[in-house]
Amino acid sequence: MTLMNCILLASALMAIGVYGLATRKQAVAMLLSVELMANSANILFASFAHFRGGPTGQVFVLFALAITVAEVAVGLALVMLLYRRHGDTALDLASEARQ
Amino acid sequence: MSPVTLAIVATVAPAVAALLLLVLSPLRHRGAPAAWVTLLGSLVSLGAAVMLLVARLGGAPDARATIPWIEERGRAMAEIGILIDGVSLPMLIIVCLVALCVQVFSIAYMHDEPPRAFGRYFTLHALFLFSMNVVVVSPNLLQLFAGWELVGLTSYLLIGFYFAKPAAAQAAVKAFWMTKLADMGFLFGLLVLYVSTGGFEWTSAPSATVATWVTGLLFLAVVGKSAQFPLHIWLPDAMEGPTPVSALLHAATMVAAGVFLVVRADPLFALAPGTREVMLWVGSITAVFAALLALVQHDIKKVLAFSTCSQLGYMVAALGAGQAFAGFFHLGTHAFFKALLFLAAGSVIHAVHSNSLDDMGGLRKKLPLTTAAFVIGSLSLAGVPGFAGFFSKDLVLTSLEGKASWIPWAMLLGAAFLTAFYMGRLLIKAFWGELSERSSHAHEGNVAMTGPLVVLAIPSLASGFLGGWLATQSSAQYELHLGLTPVLASVMSLAGLGAAILVFRKGGQAPFTHVLEKLDTFSVVDRTWAGAYRIGLLGVASLAGWIDRYLIDGLINFTGWSALEGGSSARRLQTGLVRDYALLVTVGVLVLVLIGVLR
Repeated sequence: MTLMNCILLASALMAIGVYGLATRKQAVAMLLSVELMANSANILFASFAHFRGGPTGQVFVLFALAITVAEVAVGLALVMLLYRRHGDTALDLASEARQ
Repeated sequence: MSPVTLAIVATVAPAVAALLLLVLSPLRHRGAPAAWVTLLGSLVSLGAAVMLLVARLGGAPDARATIPWIEERGRAMAEIGILIDGVSLPMLIIVCLVALCVQVFSIAYMHDEPPRAFGRYFTLHALFLFSMNVVVVSPNLLQLFAGWELVGLTSYLLIGFYFAKPAAAQAAVKAFWMTKLADMGFLFGLLVLYVSTGGFEWTSAPSATVATWVTGLLFLAVVGKSAQFPLHIWLPDAMEGPTPVSALLHAATMVAAGVFLVVRADPLFALAPGTREVMLWVGSITAVFAALLALVQHDIKKVLAFSTCSQLGYMVAALGAGQAFAGFFHLGTHAFFKALLFLAAGSVIHAVHSNSLDDMGGLRKKLPLTTAAFVIGSLSLAGVPGFAGFFSKDLVLTSLEGKASWIPWAMLLGAAFLTAFYMGRLLIKAFWGELSERSSHAHEGNVAMTGPLVVLAIPSLASGFLGGWLATQSSAQYELHLGLTPVLASVMSLAGLGAAILVFRKGGQAPFTHVLEKLDTFSVVDRTWAGAYRIGLLGVASLAGWIDRYLIDGLINFTGWSALEGGSSARRLQTGLVRDYALLVTVGVLVLVLIGVLR
């Protein structure tokens, strides 16, 4: 387990997240992709903290997780509203602002 | 009260009346109360003017009071105020007296108008008297110009009083444009004066060139306002207005404002002999030309209108000869007898319900008082010795004696003959001869109609004897002397009357009637101006309209259109799909990272 492995893992997660965000239409799937990208950043934080020493990065990850939870709560609330309005969670339906 | 206070009261009283009537519309719409308010205003004006006169006869000096008007860098650019002297005081009394007579007459004459129109009529009368007083008492040319324009406005509104009648509306517009064209001269004259002297005083000019420019431009305004050839054509048309309006505005006071302006600005005109030369000729030509056309008119008011043009020509010629006092004197006597003639004509029209001389005849038996008034006015106008017009006309003619050219003098003598001739024709056609069908039902109006005739007949008879006093007031020389000119003028007027009796008693026609009628109906001047109006004014207006509509509005519309169009094309960039935005955000971040790495 080296730092390089950790960076590769984080990059892979980020790439999957980007791919998912660009290809998925369902709001939940897109939210998951965003979570993947956030977690890849968290992994980077944690691994750099581990290999370089010092607790700052690990503490930061805890903060980031807390904020992500709040963000997911808001995101899921939006998904609920979307479902109530359109009976579906496909985000493409939510393009009324274009008119 | 001090003279200044009195003068302010005299000027402002009609304005108060007009304001009251304008603001309190129920008062105006009720009709009769409006007449009383206006009459009260005029009465106060006349009373104040008479008190001023009494004070002056008691030895009071000239009164002048001004306040700064337009401040410019701490200095008053112009002043507004009053000036009461030997010129403005007699003029003020003439204006107020004639206005009061005309307003009283109007109560009877306009009696059949609906109350709203009646109220509007008297509101305009009050406004007119105020405007005219502003002209008369003004201490400088700028205030005079302001009053001048106000007078023009009320003239326009009163000519177009019967605006539902197309002829009246057209006459109003015509009078408005003709005088506006001329007033441009006034405006530019004021500009030249201000640029060269830094003020609007009429006392002096820095050089003869400036004086020539200023007076030349001012004279253009005089030609318009005082209906001189070739801008006279609006005055006969202005007879579409109610007859008392013609008496007050288009005979006695407003058209005389041009003459009054020259009398006021006499020091400036004295520096410009070139302008005076032009005035002399324009006045003489107008006097003869208008007198000739008066010979063939069939409308009683048009005869008097052309006669007004002709008499104004006399005044202008006298001013051109450098005898401002002669012009002013003739202005005064003319105001009385021409107002009398117009009111008497109004009385006739009221009685026979027609303007046409052909509908009249034998009225002497039915309207004795009107006939007497008309005869007095006519004899005064014709310049029969002893009547007011004789003294002033004689002075005008004498002032032309010994000039470089004797032609203007001869022309005015000829015009004196013609004046007596056409007035004789009018008298015989309307008042003598067989009683016409319409005339047989005629009867005199009530006291509101006959009273003013009596009041105005007195100065028409006697105001000529005031010449000496008037001359001392404006420090001019005047004495009646028995020379060639007065004798010739008397002979001319008596000969004119005699010739009229000979020619028209049997229902004959004036010599050259045919030619003159052609001249009248195919008026070259009228057509020229109509063409100029159509091509110049309407052409420029439609060009300006086109520019406004298509160039200026187009520019503004294009700005709006381009914003709208740009917005709706830019809107296509927004798909509203979240994944597109997500992709854009991601790509954006990647680009930023790449830039960061490559640096």
